[in-house]
Amino acid sequence: MAPPSSSKLFSLRRLLVELKSSNSSCSYPCRVYRNYSPIALLSSSPLLQQSSRAPEFSENAFASPAPSFYRGFCSQPLNLDNGAQGPAAIDYSSLLPEEEFHSLADATINDLQEKFESGRREEILERGKGSNDFERIEGGVEYGDFIEMDGFDIDYGNQVLTLKLGNLGTYVLNKQTPNRQIWLSSPVSGPSRFDWDISSQTWVYRRTKANLLQLFERELEQLCGKPISLS
Amino acid sequence: MLRVGCKKFLGLGHQKNQSQAQILVRLYHERVVDHYNNPRNVGSFDKTDPNVGTGLVGAPACGDVMKLQIKVDEESGKIVDACFKTFGCGSAIASSSVATEWVKGKQMEEVLSIKNTQIAKHLSLPPVKLHCSMLAEDAIKAAIKDYEAKRAKLGENADAVPAEKAVNA
Repeated sequence: MAPPSSSKLFSLRRLLVELKSSNSSCSYPCRVYRNYSPIALLSSSPLLQQSSRAPEFSENAFASPAPSFYRGFCSQPLNLDNGAQGPAAIDYSSLLPEEEFHSLADATINDLQEKFESGRREEILERGKGSNDFERIEGGVEYGDFIEMDGFDIDYGNQVLTLKLGNLGTYVLNKQTPNRQIWLSSPVSGPSRFDWDISSQTWVYRRTKANLLQLFERELEQLCGKPISLS
Repeated sequence: MLRVGCKKFLGLGHQKNQSQAQILVRLYHERVVDHYNNPRNVGSFDKTDPNVGTGLVGAPACGDVMKLQIKVDEESGKIVDACFKTFGCGSAIASSSVATEWVKGKQMEEVLSIKNTQIAKHLSLPPVKLHCSMLAEDAIKAAIKDYEAKRAKLGENADAVPAEKAVNA
C-alpha cells in the first residue's frame, strides 16, 4: 500500500494539532477550517484513528463529507423543513455556477460603485432643473458632491464595497460566494442577503422580497434627501 | 491557511475595508470582548430530549455556525435553560451568547420578538458584523421551531395510538 504523500501527512498533522488545541474549550473556537474538507479527510483517513478527541461538533453533521454543507442555512431564513436537526445538503445542480455568480455579482457591485462615484450628468441636470448650480456642471460628479455631504466616502477593496455617508451610517456590500449571495449591511435596514433571481434578473432578498437596487435607491433618498437612479 | 485562521481568530483578518492610509482603530466593543472571554451558557443539551429545541444555523463555508439549544418547560411554555456553541468570529460568539442570556426565563412567543437590531445595538456591532446578529436571531427562531416540530410529532404519535386501539377494538 502506497504511503500517503508527505505533504498530505504534514497538513493532516497540523490539523490534528489544531484540533487538539481547539478541543480544550469550545468557547474559543478557532476559525481554522475554511472549507471543512480537511475534516472530511480526517474522518475518512486511517490516520485519524490516532486522533481520539475530535471536537464535539464532529459528532453531528459537521463531520460529513465536504459537499453536504449547509448552503441552505445561510440563504433560507427558517428553512427547517429540509432537515431540522442537521444541515441540508448542497444541491450543486441548482446552485448558480460560480463563474456566473462572480460575473453577475462583480458587474452589479462595479456598476453601483460607478454610479456612486460619478453620477450621470443628464440625470443630475434633470433633477436640478431650474437650479443654476446644476446647469453649470461640466463633467460627472460624485453623488457625494451632488448631495453636498461631508464625510462621504466610497471604498472598494478586497471585493468589499464600503459606502460611508458621514454621520448617517455606512453601507457594506460584499459577495458571499459559497451561498452565491451578495450581502449588504445597511444603516437603515440592517443586514440583508440577496440571491440572484433568474426570472427578474435582479438581486432579491427572499425574506422581504426587496430588490437590491431599489433598496439602495429608496434608502439613499431617505437618508440624503436627494434621489439617485441605480436601475 | 493556519495564518488566515489565526488572523481571523484574533479578529484582524476582517478589517477588509481599511485602506493602508487610514489608521482606523476599530476595536471590539467591551461587551463583545466580555462575552468572548467569559462566555455564558456554553454547552449542549441532549438533542433527543423532548423538552429541548435545537437551532443550527450558518455554514462553515460562510464562516459562522451557531448551535443554540433551549430547554422548555412543557406546562408553562417557558424557556428554563439555554446553551450555545458557536464557531466563528468574536461578534458571532458574543451574539449567540447574548441570545442565550436573553431567552432564559422568557416565554417562547416572547422570544420570537427578539430582533437582530437589538443584539447589534447591545454589542455595538460595526456594519460588517451585523450579519452575526441576524444569525443569532435565526438561531433562536430555529430552536423554537425545532421544539414545536418535536412537540407536534409527539402529539401525532400520541393520537395515532388511541386511533389504532379504536380500530382494533
